[in-house]
Amino acid sequence: MNEDDLLAHVRAAFEMLDPVPRSVLSAGRAAIGWRLPSAALAGLTGDRDGPVAAGVRGGTARTLTFTCPGLTLEVEVTGAGRDREVSGRLVPPAPALVEVRHPDVPPGGLTARAGPGGLFCLPCVPEGPVSLVLRLADETSVVTSWIRL
Amino acid sequence: MVPLQDEVTETLVVRARDGDDAAWARLVERYSAMLWAIARGYGLCDADAGDVVQTVWLRLVERLDGLRDPSAVGGWLATTARRESTRLAARRGRDLPPSVAPPAAEPGPPPDQVVVARERVGQVAAALSALPRRCQTLLRLVAQAACHAELAAALRIPVGSVGPTRARCLATLRRLVG
Repeated sequence: MNEDDLLAHVRAAFEMLDPVPRSVLSAGRAAIGWRLPSAALAGLTGDRDGPVAAGVRGGTARTLTFTCPGLTLEVEVTGAGRDREVSGRLVPPAPALVEVRHPDVPPGGLTARAGPGGLFCLPCVPEGPVSLVLRLADETSVVTSWIRL
Repeated sequence: MVPLQDEVTETLVVRARDGDDAAWARLVERYSAMLWAIARGYGLCDADAGDVVQTVWLRLVERLDGLRDPSAVGGWLATTARRESTRLAARRGRDLPPSVAPPAAEPGPPPDQVVVARERVGQVAAALSALPRRCQTLLRLVAQAACHAELAAALRIPVGSVGPTRARCLATLRRLVG
């Protein structure tokens, strides 16, 4: 067998034993629907697990940090399943409408308002890919990088 | 006009950025097998590998407008898939690394050309399963026509080591296939 034949067999073997599921391809195609070119991107700069702050129910919390020029968003994820809660803080503090983007949540279906202190809380965030959109008072928007809860 | 499936990656990225959803779909079809192979290389199960591939595509969507070099998107995708896979594998505690399972031998099939070809694929699959996981992943990506930059990004090795590593893995596979 020459190299091309061997590699053709390698390809055929993987296609036979471990093909890419159709659902994976269709999720990839659908991803473009989430494009929001007018919004600034806050990239993920921190992702760590730690104990929940004292006084709150037990378990661990995942702390995520998203950053874009002029704004940092700190997010804490606690609980699991239906009790999963996402609370956050804008630094510097600013009022904003916060919207969850998730393939299973209709647009505008899960929102919270951050007050002048920049604090917000989103209850019942389902697992899966999540991105937050922050609509700020000056009518600009910031989207966070996609993470998986 | 060049048919969409033959367009170079750079053109597909630029067209997707300009709002051409068919060009985006073509990119997804071209690279999802690479992303899947990388996630599998970290021993991720179907659901986790699917999550990695979806996350990588969502990440490309958010970066589409800021991408400095659209022709290098394959390397960017491979790097992002590797990082997401590492992250998820760490969260999963690196459990149960599955491998390519050799298919069970079928007794006494009719000696027909299709069957002979299928047996040959079966032999190659069995040989692959005996290789170290990184070799399996590398050969899988090479067979999908991944370029050296993509291989280097997927395996986190210097571009200069790709050629020798590729040659070594191929030689081992050839020896096992007989």
